[in-house]
Amino acid sequence: MKTSNLVSICFVGAALILGSAGCAHQGTGLTPIPSAIKSAPPPPPPPPIEPTPPPNLGSGTPIAPPVNDVTRSDKEGVGFGTNENRWTKVFAHHNEDSAALKPDTIYFDFDSATIKKSEDKKLEEVAKFLTSHLDDALRVEGNCDERGTEKYNLSLGERRALAAREYLANLGVDPHQIDTVTYGKSKPAVQGHNEAAWSKNRRDDFVVLTPKAPE
Amino acid sequence: MKISPKIVLAFLCSCALTGLAQISRFEISKDPTQIIPISVSGFTGEADSVLKFDLSVLGMELTTPDKADYLVSGTANGRLEGRLKQAGTAGHDIFARIYSSGTGRAQAHAFADDIVKEIRGTPPIFHSRIAFCRKEGASTELCVSDFDGHDLVQLTHDGSLVGTPAWSPGGRDLYYTSWKTGYTEIIEQEASTGKRTVVARHGGGNFNPVPSPDGSKVAMILSKGGSPNLYVSDRDGGNLLQLTRERDEASSPTWSPDGQQICYVLRSGHATLRKISAGGGPSVPFAVGVYGNLTSPDWSPDGKKIIFTAGSGNFTLWVAPAEGGEAEKLVAGEDPCWAPNSRTVIFTRQVNHNPVLSLLDVPTKHVKDVGQMSGSCSQPAWAR
Repeated sequence: MKTSNLVSICFVGAALILGSAGCAHQGTGLTPIPSAIKSAPPPPPPPPIEPTPPPNLGSGTPIAPPVNDVTRSDKEGVGFGTNENRWTKVFAHHNEDSAALKPDTIYFDFDSATIKKSEDKKLEEVAKFLTSHLDDALRVEGNCDERGTEKYNLSLGERRALAAREYLANLGVDPHQIDTVTYGKSKPAVQGHNEAAWSKNRRDDFVVLTPKAPE
Repeated sequence: MKISPKIVLAFLCSCALTGLAQISRFEISKDPTQIIPISVSGFTGEADSVLKFDLSVLGMELTTPDKADYLVSGTANGRLEGRLKQAGTAGHDIFARIYSSGTGRAQAHAFADDIVKEIRGTPPIFHSRIAFCRKEGASTELCVSDFDGHDLVQLTHDGSLVGTPAWSPGGRDLYYTSWKTGYTEIIEQEASTGKRTVVARHGGGNFNPVPSPDGSKVAMILSKGGSPNLYVSDRDGGNLLQLTRERDEASSPTWSPDGQQICYVLRSGHATLRKISAGGGPSVPFAVGVYGNLTSPDWSPDGKKIIFTAGSGNFTLWVAPAEGGEAEKLVAGEDPCWAPNSRTVIFTRQVNHNPVLSLLDVPTKHVKDVGQMSGSCSQPAWAR
């Protein structure tokens, strides 16, 4: 446990250094995810009028310096911000593509949210995709097998999704580009009551969210 | 209308005259773990089936009058006239009452509650409502019904998933987890009007809301800090206080009846039970002498016991003293929720890998399936 903590600290440190220096395409610091990324409950208000886009000042020059509101804590992990960012609209109105990264679904051991060494390559593929598709966002869907109670599995599924998000953040992906959802044990990939089925259900699925064209 | 002290006195006097056998049967009936043989006669149709169902939920076994300790008799015809007698004491009623308000089912439930009050000494539950999740194809929707599954009303029609329903006191509101936006958020729904408000919609996960026993606060699991941890807020989601700050996740909070403590699950290697002050502070283990994955605790309304689920797949229910101590194994099942009488528990049991709702009489370990609803029903919550 201690070695992987140290490794994580090194990754976080490296990512912070790289992140602050290298995100020229969107200006200094990280732009956070607002809580309004999730669409409104029924009855929905009339669709908002799209604001006039700001003038293109060229890459690396924001209009106002955004505030980095994503917390990082070795104790908890990589938190979620509350401010608007370039993925705010995508999370609110998107098309879903669950095929693009389907081969990269990662699997977990029983009762564990630890990313296994065997899954590293897949996460590298996901990171490569996200950093080269900056208009898209990612939803990580955490799942469990049936051998936990409902509420326990909601938390464990969420923890699995967060583990992938943190791993991707440590590979240089902006955490604002990624959101998580847990399904507990309610969306098994394989029906069955044996390890062959269970092992396929303890997983994170990666769903690419592409921006919807304005109507 | 409480006539029992006089009846007890009259009964004891008649016992002195008629021998010891009646005294010992009466004494035994006050042992909560005793299955009570009881007969029900004179009723037909709905009144008959309601009485028999309700009494068996409280660990009473239906039998013929000659083998019964207690005799229930009467008629129901628009109004219910009911009588409870101690067996073997001809002509000595424990009580005789008329029930005239409400439906036929309500009258029978009220009569059954009075019978249980005399025999078990526990408060009424047969009028109360439950909430639960029901699978509808690929979706799950929230439903409420009578505790016996009758008068079912579907509360959500979102075509997505819902989970973890929990009542505010008196059954005023239901809090639950909703996936209708594609993410988890916590919703409060007014039971009488259906009006919904979003209580928590932070970045990351928002799930497993549990209102405090006085309804002023809500405990919940939020992952906005980077890991699913335990939080408490005001009933509308404001004034958020983070209680746990762990890397590995918390789940399934349950409040002490005085609202001072929360018992919850922490995955720390495996699923463990812990307690924490609702105002914040260090957490402590809740030691119950059971090895394995311990989850889904529920604190009894009288404050004395915590029931929980143990196991990984083959779940069993166990009950422990609320202050900690040796837990007692009960029956196969998961996700228990106490009734207002701190004696009956509704839970989920698997029948050929399909979840059904079932009722457990904790002292006798007698199980009675709700039976009324079809389909996969789970995560029951008893309005208290």
